[in-house]
Amino acid sequence: MIRKSRSASTLLPAIVTGVAVCMGLGGLAGVGPLDLVETIWTGAWGGTDAAMNTLSKMTPLLLTGLSVALAYSAGLLNIGCEGQLTLGALVCATVARLAPPLPGFLLLPLALLSGALVGGVFAYPAVVLRQRRGVHEVITTLILNYIAIYACSYFVSGPLGDGTAMGRTPLIPEGARMAEIVRSGSLYLTAAPPAALLMCFAARFWLSRTVWGFEARASGSNPEAATNAGIAASKWQVGMFVVSGALAGLAGAMEVCAVHHRFYRSFSPGYGFDGLTAAFLANGAPGWLWLSTVFLASLRSADKWLQIGLNVSPNFILVVQAVLLFTVTCQGGIKSCLDRVVLRFRGRGGGTARAAESDRAGAGRS
Amino acid sequence: MFDLLVLMLANSVPLLFAAFGGLLSESSGVINFALEGMMLSGAFAAVLGTFVSGSPWVGLISGVAAGGLAGAVHATACLKFRANQIVSAIAVNLLAAGLTGWTLNQFFGVYGTSPEVSSLPRLGHYLPQTGLLSSLHGIAGEISVLVPVAICTVGAVICFLKHSVPGLRLRACGENPEAAASAGLSVERIRFAAVCAGGALAGLGGVYMSIGELAQFVENMTHGRGYLAIAAIILGRWRPDGVLLSVLFFAFAEALSEWLSVRWSSVPNEVFHALPYAACFLILSWYAGKHRAPTALGRIV
Repeated sequence: MIRKSRSASTLLPAIVTGVAVCMGLGGLAGVGPLDLVETIWTGAWGGTDAAMNTLSKMTPLLLTGLSVALAYSAGLLNIGCEGQLTLGALVCATVARLAPPLPGFLLLPLALLSGALVGGVFAYPAVVLRQRRGVHEVITTLILNYIAIYACSYFVSGPLGDGTAMGRTPLIPEGARMAEIVRSGSLYLTAAPPAALLMCFAARFWLSRTVWGFEARASGSNPEAATNAGIAASKWQVGMFVVSGALAGLAGAMEVCAVHHRFYRSFSPGYGFDGLTAAFLANGAPGWLWLSTVFLASLRSADKWLQIGLNVSPNFILVVQAVLLFTVTCQGGIKSCLDRVVLRFRGRGGGTARAAESDRAGAGRS
Repeated sequence: MFDLLVLMLANSVPLLFAAFGGLLSESSGVINFALEGMMLSGAFAAVLGTFVSGSPWVGLISGVAAGGLAGAVHATACLKFRANQIVSAIAVNLLAAGLTGWTLNQFFGVYGTSPEVSSLPRLGHYLPQTGLLSSLHGIAGEISVLVPVAICTVGAVICFLKHSVPGLRLRACGENPEAAASAGLSVERIRFAAVCAGGALAGLGGVYMSIGELAQFVENMTHGRGYLAIAAIILGRWRPDGVLLSVLFFAFAEALSEWLSVRWSSVPNEVFHALPYAACFLILSWYAGKHRAPTALGRIV
């Protein structure tokens, strides 16, 4: 059911088509394509503050993107990042606050790991249901999202809150905050974005260069063949899905320790679903997540400028994501459509159709 | 107790429309996780149509059309462009969330909630003021005119899938598309029609939520109803009567949580919000063994 085509020659035309469609849609709203690009560019990267804001938004996107990509490489789709992230953030903030006084180099890892742990635990029932009962993990993770978000909303306005009506926990102690590495004015950047980036590259190396990574991918692309080859395919799927949940939980924990220093109600502005887009824009390849994440983080940090500068609702960002998701998942069909157009064009332009056909075959092979 | 039943009936309507729309699509072999987006676009288009024309019936038609259009987008991506059907559905849901919010702002100049429009009439509107039937005003007056429509639709879909020739063909496309094709059926066309019709039905569910129950559009107002509808299809094991039963169960869970949230106001609200989803998850994990999906679900010929 899940087909993979990991070649840039089919992905690029799809992304170009998607961007063109988005610009057309912007044109419908009376926004010129150049204005759109310029607003997003200056909103996301024009000046130190904007760039730091964008970079700090990359952390959760990289981690949720990696979460989706890893589950996908084992043949599973994790739509539950939103709930896992929220739970991870709440547990991290609570553990950091209630833990006995520890030195920072112990407290911070403890808080981050507890967030990751609860994310993984929360992903576990979905994959078990998939394997034992055949209930698709997409529907179970979606339902678990709602349960997690309502549960967190209850805890933060009740027992775990700071007692105000704001629906937030108290600030976590200094020791549990990640250290600043760059500061400019009131903005600062921690080690979180580079750490998330490193994890993506590590995952890429692990998947493509190690035996375990191979076994995980084999369990995803053809579980039966993998089982016959002596790979414990179903164990790999469970493991990868739990790791996927843990990464989403870690994304929430990192947000708490690096950016907000507390948990508050409706914590995630949709980072879980962004992770999905990030993973698919990168064709499920962790090594390319940085590129799709730069793009998505730019959109996210520019959304208020769309509103201020161009009077376009921030919901436009969702439309852009949806269109790109469409074109990327349709990439095979789009490529063959474009090829047909090119073929007809060349046939008219004097070259023989056969030459064009052989060109295409050659391009497909390379 | 009686108001609980009325509440359950009211809550079951959007789920019924969505679940039976999804059943049409899934019986033909196309995975439809996009019900949420179809409902949302139907809900928005209904308000937009009503606002522009002034008549809620025009709103109803535009809501159905918008749901069908969302279905056509999903079907085109899945059948023509051979997209991953789950990813395409997620894209439809995202697109509906984005486009409705964006258009809401472009058209009405507001964020979050649309201005009030006129809603579809309640049944009380059609009851005579005097005579034997006038005593029904108290109960039936509250019921939207879409409730009997929903009941008829469910009956029609059940008859269509079980007893009609086109329904049999549609199911053949979901069970064994190769055999259907070799019997001379155009599998792709039948599936396309099924997904569009399913989208139109889900859109009608959205219409009920925006101008049946309320008289306005609220951003993301479907709130996971589309996902509950899919869960109902899975739980009902893709059989029409089973789907009907599981929809009624979920509607009862929703109604019970609304009913209890009024009575037990000391218990935090979130508990009642989460109750239908928790019930859904528990019963999925407890009961959904050995179900049988259409054999070719998600497979493109």
